[in-house]
Amino acid sequence: MRGPQDYGGMPAGPVDPDTHEHVPTHWEKTVDAMMMLLFDQRRRLARVDESRRMQEALGDDYHKYPYYERWLQAISWLMLEKGVYSQEELEAKKAEVRARMEAEGHGS
Amino acid sequence: MDPKFRPGDQVQVLQRDQPGHVRTPMYVRGKTGVIERIVGSFPNPELLAVGHSGLPYKMLYRVNFKQGELWEDYDGESDDTLEIEIYEHWLAPV
Amino acid sequence: MSETHDHSHDHAHPTHTHDGKPIQEDPLPSLEAQILEASVRELLIEKGVISSDDVRRAIDQVESRTPALGAKIVARAWDDAEFKDKLMSDSDEALMAFGVDMRPTELCVVENTDDVHNMVVCTLCSCYPRPVLGIPPAWYKRRDYRSRAVREPRAILREFGTDIPEKKQVRVHDSNADLRYLVLPQRPDGTEGWDQERLARLVTRDSMIGVSDALAPADVED
Repeated sequence: MRGPQDYGGMPAGPVDPDTHEHVPTHWEKTVDAMMMLLFDQRRRLARVDESRRMQEALGDDYHKYPYYERWLQAISWLMLEKGVYSQEELEAKKAEVRARMEAEGHGS
Repeated sequence: MDPKFRPGDQVQVLQRDQPGHVRTPMYVRGKTGVIERIVGSFPNPELLAVGHSGLPYKMLYRVNFKQGELWEDYDGESDDTLEIEIYEHWLAPV
Repeated sequence: MSETHDHSHDHAHPTHTHDGKPIQEDPLPSLEAQILEASVRELLIEKGVISSDDVRRAIDQVESRTPALGAKIVARAWDDAEFKDKLMSDSDEALMAFGVDMRPTELCVVENTDDVHNMVVCTLCSCYPRPVLGIPPAWYKRRDYRSRAVREPRAILREFGTDIPEKKQVRVHDSNADLRYLVLPQRPDGTEGWDQERLARLVTRDSMIGVSDALAPADVED
């Protein structure tokens, strides 16, 4: 079975070095920073291989997710798996954040 | 841990169908290459991926493939090569 | 190709230029992703796993890693044969002089010569020598590059404007496991007697991934 991440040799389009260039946003760097912290020698909460397993678990969605959204999903699934927070805590927090962001007019 | 292979040895990557997280891409499975060098022993990523320690460690090699061995329709030059890291448990002697 | 690292992010979300045109190719994170990110971060802080300061410092660290460091290393290798030998044989020790710690990975330096052109890809994810080059470019993480670099490297190189003579061997490195790769590009002609600082200006990020050569003196000199 071929995992969704296993791209080597698959048909694909041209590479455009100019339009496929991108300055990482603050949001992306925040996700990057969180991953780095969870992996670091002090916390060792997760390994890069575990993050890859979670990203691969996206299946067909792997191709649709933007790069750092894939990382974010992997982080959250890993924290749930490791019991750092529960599904209920996550849902409650998301509801709180959603209400706050909507009040601030985000994402409109 | 003694390496099973030496630089210059011919090896074949196992054509194994293994679910879960593995670092041996499909395009090299079943292909024959040459050990370029012994990298050293490393935790097994297949176990790290599920939160284990990665023990026992696995010997890791850099394996050199002729592009023509990997792709029947390779349209570059015949000397072109690809090098990739393969863990010992994915390699068989030729 | 020019380097695109922008150190002038004074505002929090630098996703648009002044004329309002998006400067990023990926879409903005969806509201759902923004909500998930803030939720995860706040939960991790509430649980005492990380602090806001940790996140800020980690972002600083992410931003401090740029291809300028890789360029310094390459320039030194061009200028200092002993350093180059060490870099090629025991990169850990050579990199200590630059305060670079690659652990738990190892840096493998591959040298371009008159006969060999090296090029790096990670087909399975986006493994990249981050301590010396920073965050990988968007194209390096995309499906197109990851799929085709191993199968038609010469076509990919042409898309980057890099023509490799037929006689020259193209060696692709799939960075799939515990090594990270840095290409040591060929030192351009006409740089005899240049000091390392001047040499470093010729070393682009892309030349250290192997999709292009180092710049020529004429490209940087006024």
